[in-house]
Amino acid sequence: MWAFALKRAGATLVTLWAASVIIFAFIHVIPGDPIYVLLGDTATADQADRLRTELGLDEPIVLQYLQWAGRALSGDLGRSIFFQAPVAAVIADGAETSILLATMTMVWVVLIGVPIGTVAAMRHGTWLDQGLSGVAMLMASVPTFWVGLYLILIFAATLGWLPSSGYPSIFEGGLGNLRYLLLPSLTLAAPNAALILRLTRASMLDVAREDYVRTARAKGIRPWQVVTRHILRNALLTVVSAFGFTFAALMSEAVVTETVFALPGIGRLVVQSILRRDYPVIQGIILVIVVLYLVINLLVDLAYRFLDPRVELQ
Amino acid sequence: MKSAIGLLARGAAAIVTTLFLNAQANAAGTLREATIGEPPPLDVMVTTADVATAIGRHMFETLYAWDSSYKSQPLLADSERLEDGGKTIVIKLREGVQFHNGKEMTAKDVVASMERWGKFGARGKLLMASATSVEATGKYEVTLKLSSPNGAWKNLVSDVNGGLAIYPEEIASKATGQPIEQKDYVGTGPYKFKEWRPNRYVELEKFAGYKPRKEKGDGFAGARVANFDAIRFIPVPDVGTRVSGVQAGDYDYAEMISGDLYDTLSKDKSVQVQRTNAPIFGLFFMNSKEGILKDNYKLRRAIQTALDKSQALRVSFGSKDLWKAEGSIVPKDTPWYSTAGIDGYSPHDPKKAKEMAKEAGYTGQPIRLLVSTNYQAHYDQAAVFTRQLADAGINVQMNVVDWATLIKMRGQPEQWDIFVTHHSFFPDPILFTFLNASYAGWWDTAEIKALRAELVNSSDQAARKATWDKIQALIYEQVPVMKVGDAYTYDIASPKLKGLNPNGPAFWNVSNK
Repeated sequence: MWAFALKRAGATLVTLWAASVIIFAFIHVIPGDPIYVLLGDTATADQADRLRTELGLDEPIVLQYLQWAGRALSGDLGRSIFFQAPVAAVIADGAETSILLATMTMVWVVLIGVPIGTVAAMRHGTWLDQGLSGVAMLMASVPTFWVGLYLILIFAATLGWLPSSGYPSIFEGGLGNLRYLLLPSLTLAAPNAALILRLTRASMLDVAREDYVRTARAKGIRPWQVVTRHILRNALLTVVSAFGFTFAALMSEAVVTETVFALPGIGRLVVQSILRRDYPVIQGIILVIVVLYLVINLLVDLAYRFLDPRVELQ
Repeated sequence: MKSAIGLLARGAAAIVTTLFLNAQANAAGTLREATIGEPPPLDVMVTTADVATAIGRHMFETLYAWDSSYKSQPLLADSERLEDGGKTIVIKLREGVQFHNGKEMTAKDVVASMERWGKFGARGKLLMASATSVEATGKYEVTLKLSSPNGAWKNLVSDVNGGLAIYPEEIASKATGQPIEQKDYVGTGPYKFKEWRPNRYVELEKFAGYKPRKEKGDGFAGARVANFDAIRFIPVPDVGTRVSGVQAGDYDYAEMISGDLYDTLSKDKSVQVQRTNAPIFGLFFMNSKEGILKDNYKLRRAIQTALDKSQALRVSFGSKDLWKAEGSIVPKDTPWYSTAGIDGYSPHDPKKAKEMAKEAGYTGQPIRLLVSTNYQAHYDQAAVFTRQLADAGINVQMNVVDWATLIKMRGQPEQWDIFVTHHSFFPDPILFTFLNASYAGWWDTAEIKALRAELVNSSDQAARKATWDKIQALIYEQVPVMKVGDAYTYDIASPKLKGLNPNGPAFWNVSNK
């Protein structure tokens, strides 16, 4: 068991090193640098060259990598060129928004997707099922920026019930600030809930054909108990595994929603940082995401091995 | 099952209600501006980025400032005296001006700021390159000696954008070409730096020690009175969100609204529209260093002859109120307006253009046009022109990249023949990028060299205007750059705000009705 864990951890470290090289190389391969973003369009070539030297951006790329990797190993992700602030702090601030947004979205996804998917499955083949599936397709197809802008127009600009955009931290304004995430989370939930809805429906239809369901029915158990205890519970195993992927994707890929609602999240941060070539921030964020995925993978591998000792490391 | 759904629905309703009840009003006295994006560091002396300028000018001040008709008026200066035929400039400073750190501003601070500006400032060289000395000749007196007179000196020290903002001596003297740190954001302006939350906002607060000038506020000049306790600059990248945010009352002011919304918003009572009085103008730079257009002025003129600038302006800015097909480089109603050469501005004669191109020896070789998508207007204009040039048999290949890439590539003369950018309004031609021989494009012919020296070294306005007429005529002859036309950007504000500044967003003297 321990040998397995060590080997697996070793492989993870190698992957991490390879990822760090790839991240660094890719970012520096694209042309452009942060100099003119800092200095503005009309900066002179002299002024730009001098600042490039002061920031160490004219040093050989390998040297820049070693310096960055060395600091990253000791837990220092460097300083943002643009914000003049530690990268770790910039990422941590963005992470708060992203985690809360993803969590709130997942709540809607579950509240909308699972019950409606269940109803659709139970009324399989009827006009209700067709109607709900149609609505789901529509929700999955409408672009998020369009949904977002309309929600803002209705609930913020016209009715004035909710704030239009931004998100002040809950650590400063209390839990009430979660209202800022209400519209964005509903926007993000629409396509994802549609996905879960379809998945729940399909998975339930599969399970409903199983022998034990027929047996349960034959035993005279009430129909709704068959649905909740026997079909839904088993069908959810497939659906729950999809929650994980959805959550991870919501953390890093909510760029459009974060832009429309002016949210200080990770998705917008990484895109903006790429546009302004803020290398330390881009490297930092991608590295953190890679580490997260690697750790999750490692834990999953170890858990499999723990659950089923027959699993061998190839 | 039904009861389970009912329970979930009730739960969701409860969450929503709680969140609504928690809605709270905005803290009184904070003005919230929605900006187009995050600013770079606010060291206005080294950066010319507009987002940094718009925030920085509330904290940092200059010796002079432009009034609403873009004439320089004293701000931190009190008066000036020219000696030695304009080669010596003696500036008397206002007394009793306080920095945000409580220290009084004296000549030493101005001298240190001037030295850093000359060495590292974005526009410092234009004045300081010819400086032989700058000294404090009294507690409140600075003497600048130049090797030759500079007719634009006052305009050069009237704006914080890459300009001579006055920093305390101890900060200016140790600052390098790197933007200064946030803790060093110490100026003399009516608002002082409070905090910068990356991705969230930059907040400034009222500076209690500010003593406004006696003159009435006019443009950026005169008295500056802080009526709000604080100003929060919030990056809101999506224009639709900026508009809805002002309509909903979440922001008091939003900048850079798109042209297609102008007519609707002009009629909307929930906002007031604020159009700038200082148009920006699109520029297509020709490569004067390398390639097919290097010194083929006839081919360049052929290109300009094929174009209909109005069409490009309509496509990129929409409403007729927001653009003007103006051939004079500097707009009408300014001292620099000129009609020299403007017949060549927008002839839209593809047939003639074809003939001219043929005479210029052009046989259909590709002309590489470098443009970015970060500015929609640049791309729209490039697309319209490419189409129009095709009608004249001129083969343009668009190379579409992002802005950071464009800036890198435009520095490499072998990469492009034409690149697209735009220019902010400046009340003195000396600040125009195309007159700077080291700016991408590298226009440095013998004719412009001579005229440039004439423009800088004369301090007589009439003579300088006559020189500018000659320069504009030369621009239409050698076509180092093509002006697209004037574009009037506009912002929107809450109808409650009064005293908005026509020169651009500046929130001193602005208050709630």
